[in-house]
Amino acid sequence: MAVIEVNGLTKRFGSVVAVDHLSFQVDEGKVVGFLGPNGAGKTTTLRMLLGLVEPSGGSAKVCGAPYRELDNPLHKVGALLDSSHAHPRRTARTHLRLVATSAGVSPAKIDDMLALVGLSQAADRRAGEFSLGMRQRLGLAAALLPEPEVLILDEPANGLDPQGVHWLRELLRKRAAEGQTVLVSSHILAEVAQTVDTVVILDRGRLVTESSLADLTASTKTIVRVRTPKAADLAAAVTADGADAKVVPPDRVEITGSTPERVANLAADRAIPIVESTTETPNLEDVFLQLTADSGPQGVPS
Amino acid sequence: MILPLRVELMKLRATGLTYGLLATAVGLSALLAVLAAAQAGSNVAPLSTASGLGTVTTTTGLALLLAAILGVTVASGEFRHQTATLTYLSFPDRNRVLAAKAMAAAAAGAVYGFAAGVAATVVGLIAVAIKGDSVALSAGTLLAHMGGAALGAALLAAAGVGVGSLVRGELGAVIGTIAWVVVIELIIGGLFRSIQPYLPYTAATTLAGIKLGQSLLVVRVAAGPQPLPFAAATGLLLAVAAVVAFAAALATVPRDIT
Repeated sequence: MAVIEVNGLTKRFGSVVAVDHLSFQVDEGKVVGFLGPNGAGKTTTLRMLLGLVEPSGGSAKVCGAPYRELDNPLHKVGALLDSSHAHPRRTARTHLRLVATSAGVSPAKIDDMLALVGLSQAADRRAGEFSLGMRQRLGLAAALLPEPEVLILDEPANGLDPQGVHWLRELLRKRAAEGQTVLVSSHILAEVAQTVDTVVILDRGRLVTESSLADLTASTKTIVRVRTPKAADLAAAVTADGADAKVVPPDRVEITGSTPERVANLAADRAIPIVESTTETPNLEDVFLQLTADSGPQGVPS
Repeated sequence: MILPLRVELMKLRATGLTYGLLATAVGLSALLAVLAAAQAGSNVAPLSTASGLGTVTTTTGLALLLAAILGVTVASGEFRHQTATLTYLSFPDRNRVLAAKAMAAAAAGAVYGFAAGVAATVVGLIAVAIKGDSVALSAGTLLAHMGGAALGAALLAAAGVGVGSLVRGELGAVIGTIAWVVVIELIIGGLFRSIQPYLPYTAATTLAGIKLGQSLLVVRVAAGPQPLPFAAATGLLLAVAAVVAFAAALATVPRDIT
């Protein structure tokens, strides 16, 4: 069952289209990576999903309804956008007490939540004195406090040190194991690759792909790089065999859509000497970069 | 409506500015009362008269202005500190949030007005006691002035929330509010005195028993038009708060929180 449904979602800021007819869905109990380079429209999409930004077109539903129509929304959706949203002069404990009151949650849970995010020692310090990483932890505590059904996290690893990133990964894994639905955005695939089931990749406001990590990996094309004095002949042979070949002067051929064995056989059949042959299977990060290769700064809120 | 109101009241209690402005309102009202009492018999009518004592016990004009400023910051502070995101995630119905903020600010404003009225009245009564004069105003009148200050401050604070929602830049909204009071109400209103009673801040000072045009400084002002009756001044302020709130609602609901 889809917990998050985005259909034809569009947002224009003046003449700039930040999100362009975006559609995807997130099923219950899945952890989904929402990926794209900076300026791809991730934050704008999440803010539309959360009723903070009015779409120019399309619709976004979470837990079966537009966010603004949810009863007690903090119990349904826990969100972290940008940072903690805490008043700089309020302490972490006071901030969470406000969240607890807003959500109708017992304040007795606050200490446990502060401990969970590693802020027990800083509970009575003002949020304005916090580092970015601490603000992220406080924001996560606020999102988790009402025990929501769905978590929507926008670049939650921003500002976290490596230990913090590891902690976040463990937290998301635990939530995933408990069957919680999580939509987590990032501009770095590796940051979420170990946690997510599927990815939604966005570029320039448009959906690039929506697939499982396994499918994404399977879709990658192995590149066979061959060095030969007869590069043009080999390229012609593999092209005739149905693969793609690109000659890289003076003596190299890059082949996709074939295998090293097949290329070797073709070369042997035509007496084409092979000086060197290497095979490269792109990792997920390479795939992500390939999929969003044309992206540049968008100049609009991301 | 009760839950958002409870949360807004909690926010006010958890914000140092609330107490800072309250202390300033009380302190300045008391200070102005002392200055007025010191001028009794010269620039101010003698303390033995209802006019003189009334001038001292109604030095609450700055408190009313500070209540309006509190209202402005209740709304615009959400954008300055980027806390609006969490507020609207908690309560997506923005009209409810606006109403809760207006009510919470009004409650705090009432405290400002009443506390300032008490401070000025205490100073006035001490001054009367020191001079050995009799108290020229009845307890009912003194209480009416304090209650009026509370009501005027409450309504100005509620209107301030509307202003703070319309003008999201906190500094600009605060400066604009001060400029409105000083330039429009006191200077221009002082030049065109027939319109002065109908201006909102002046109407609030009327509720507090402050003489027309004597709200921020203890100076003798020339006789002018009659202030609005209490009910009319209350109605005018309610109407102003309602219009500003309506405009704020129209502007706030579709506004993107980025």
